[in-house]
Amino acid sequence: MNKYLEELEKKSIAIIREAKAQFKNPAVLWSTGKDSTATVWLCKKAFFGKIPFPVIHIDTSYKFPEIYEFRDKIAKEWNLNLIIAKNEKALKEGMSPEKGRLECCTALKTEALKNLIKQRKFDALILAIRRDEHGIRAKERRYSPRDENFRWNYKDQPAELWDLYVKPSEDFSHMRVHPILHWTELEVWQYVVQEKLPVNPLYFAKNGKRYRSLGCMPCTVPIPSTANTIDKIVQEIKTSKTPERAGRSQDKEKAYMMQKLRALGYM
Amino acid sequence: MIILALDALDLHQVKKFTCKNLMQKEHGQTDLSDFKQARTVVLWASFLTGKNLEAEIPIKTQWKYKVKPEQTFLKFFKTYKTIDVPAFSYKQQNHAEERKLLKGYFEDKATIEGCDAVVWRNHKENKKEFLECLGKFDLIMGYFDLADFIGHLSFGIAKKMAEVYNELDKLAEEVKDADDFVLVISDHGMKAVGRFGDHSRNGFYSFNHKLGLQLPKITSFHNLIRRIADEHA
Repeated sequence: MNKYLEELEKKSIAIIREAKAQFKNPAVLWSTGKDSTATVWLCKKAFFGKIPFPVIHIDTSYKFPEIYEFRDKIAKEWNLNLIIAKNEKALKEGMSPEKGRLECCTALKTEALKNLIKQRKFDALILAIRRDEHGIRAKERRYSPRDENFRWNYKDQPAELWDLYVKPSEDFSHMRVHPILHWTELEVWQYVVQEKLPVNPLYFAKNGKRYRSLGCMPCTVPIPSTANTIDKIVQEIKTSKTPERAGRSQDKEKAYMMQKLRALGYM
Repeated sequence: MIILALDALDLHQVKKFTCKNLMQKEHGQTDLSDFKQARTVVLWASFLTGKNLEAEIPIKTQWKYKVKPEQTFLKFFKTYKTIDVPAFSYKQQNHAEERKLLKGYFEDKATIEGCDAVVWRNHKENKKEFLECLGKFDLIMGYFDLADFIGHLSFGIAKKMAEVYNELDKLAEEVKDADDFVLVISDHGMKAVGRFGDHSRNGFYSFNHKLGLQLPKITSFHNLIRRIADEHA
């Protein structure tokens, strides 16, 4: 095993175990992308093969068919306690990306998850975000408290000195736990190779294009690429100057700002 | 009297970038609690008239809203010149172009560099006009939207914001000895939304004489300006 990856893995497993010990009712979020699949795998390793909490998949109903196929196959093979969060009410009322990307994401992702948290009383959610994904994610900590509206105050976060992850005061609705925050995109792929993890076929190039980040069908575009194997993907990432989420039109920060500017009358 | 009307000049940023010329003898934060939203035109129209005009100015048509000189403190001065002041002498064409580019950026039709170039061009044009008027009128009021526009697009990029605040501080330096009374005022402040900026309530004011004001309302400067006009008529 690669020493460096071993260190990353150790740290992640420690965070996951710590979360399980500190919270009564945790769960892990799984989009079926490489990061969350690696995180679910780390959860499996942390508890010797059987994850002792549910795995949540948020289904917007606008995802690629490959995502649903992959989800169902792996959930069965890995014996996951899979919960699917879906905002049926919003879908019935016709919510779609055409109504606005931010509005759609809020209804089909955020609200779906909010409802599930409320219903199942989850107090901690394990998420596969990484600091190198986006500027705002670089400000995240391993333990990130959220209020009932999912608001996050990055200026008021618990200190994480000497890798001690302490549950702050009771002043939060649920805790976000980020076990792979310190990983990079390349390291995740190297880990996928090392652990021989299953990979969603959307990541592999077909007709000169592949998906580098997986989201909903209307809001995700492939990047030009010829990388049709994991080794080629690793090679491509080593030399790429394109941001990982370049193919994701759903930039929440941008969409939020657009909404604010509209409200102020700029647009 | 000189009024430097700086859109979105934020108290915390003025301090952060140590803008010594913007921070005159008296300086601090304005109180915008009477306003539901920190809207540019509403706040400038209210500043000019000394009345809260929020209810009168609809969002959709706000950019074209105009107050008459007799409704404003301008009537107290024998001669005055306003440059690009919202709700009064707003350069509609320039700002429509800026807003079009802003919209274009959020719809992936324009680049940040393209947007910046236009707003800097407009700023330089206003600055030239403003500096040429110094000493020629009883009141000169110049409006500059650099901190607002660049702030909305790049508030999280400290280097860019430092450049903007440095430019506005230099402008304050150029006017500080040009008149007995210099008021620097912003409509609202700016806060970070990731890499973008959103209007905040940290509005800024500064005056080159000590006044002892505590959180003055943007509408309360009307009386001060009137007093200055009366005393020096």
